Amino acid sequence: SSQQFSALTELLFRFLTEPKEVERFLTQLSDFATMNKISLGPLKNIVKSILLVPNGALKRNLSSEQVKADFIALGLSEEKASYFAEQWKVNSPTLTRLAVGQTLMINQLIDMEWKFGVTAGSSELEKVGSIFLQLKLVIKKGTQMENVYIELTLPQFYSFLHEMERVKTSLESFS
Amino acid sequence: WPRLSASHFASCQAPSRDAVRQLCQQCFSSPPAGLATLAQRVCPSLAAGPEEAEQLVFALHSLTRHVVYRGLTKAEDVLSLFPENFHQNLKSLLTKIILENISAWRNEAQASQISLPRLVDMDWRVDIKTSSDSISRMAVPTCLLQLKIQEDVALCGNSPVVSALTVELNKETLDTMLEGLGRIRDQLSAVANK
Repeated sequence: SSQQFSALTELLFRFLTEPKEVERFLTQLSDFATMNKISLGPLKNIVKSILLVPNGALKRNLSSEQVKADFIALGLSEEKASYFAEQWKVNSPTLTRLAVGQTLMINQLIDMEWKFGVTAGSSELEKVGSIFLQLKLVIKKGTQMENVYIELTLPQFYSFLHEMERVKTSLESFS
Repeated sequence: WPRLSASHFASCQAPSRDAVRQLCQQCFSSPPAGLATLAQRVCPSLAAGPEEAEQLVFALHSLTRHVVYRGLTKAEDVLSLFPENFHQNLKSLLTKIILENISAWRNEAQASQISLPRLVDMDWRVDIKTSSDSISRMAVPTCLLQLKIQEDVALCGNSPVVSALTVELNKETLDTMLEGLGRIRDQLSAVANK
């Protein structure tokens, strides 16, 4: 029935927009099955096939009309296909953002910690009084995190800050 | 520190002034572990036996390092380090050479002090990601930042190891980073204005 279909569609999109909530999705699916007296096995298979459509649509950047046409071609009624396509349109910004977020990043910078201080003396110089700046960069290499420690002099820090501001301007002009 | 003794210099032939200058530089720059080798190298030009050359090199190394460590800048302070019966002209010459080199040697000491790996260079570029396996069309700008990092000089000696690390930042990460860098700048100004 159309009511059941909209409930199921809602369930599906909630999962798609929050792909990490797998447990929740499976629980909701089994609740849906019990409520509507459908057996869970076949329901899961149907859901698997349905889920292929939005994922394919994302990969190919389909419009909602194209998604509707796809569903009709698969044998869904006009009404149900329209409803799904509508839901797709509403959710596609979120889904697109998630797909972009999954895109490959090389040595992604995850975090940066810093400290600065004064070198008071050393084994070679009794009195120094020079400022040092230390950065700890947390980088994601493949699946692991790596910490990189570097030290900068003050002139280097100002130069680094200046360059990063130029990067920001550049990124903003392309957004 | 081993006291300079006139005898260290007595048996050596003082070559030219420039040779003395160069010897002082070499004795300062050499790490303690390299002094024996240095002594062997300069032995022939000093017309001294290997033992005397070694004593001389060690003494000069200690003298120059001591002056730099204490941050001495005045001729009187340096002169007072020599023993009383020390050869006058040689004492003046050495003092003069040391004072001439003090600030260069201070910089050298600072540049070679222990530290975390140092940033020596950075480059960046902005790319636009247009497509990926999860989405076929997009226009997402991203930044690639390459940092050239030199390992601790003290560990590498004369052949510093420089590695290049390329990291990718998206706009959010860059904004957060700039926030952090801005805070550092503010704190630095606060310290400077105190």
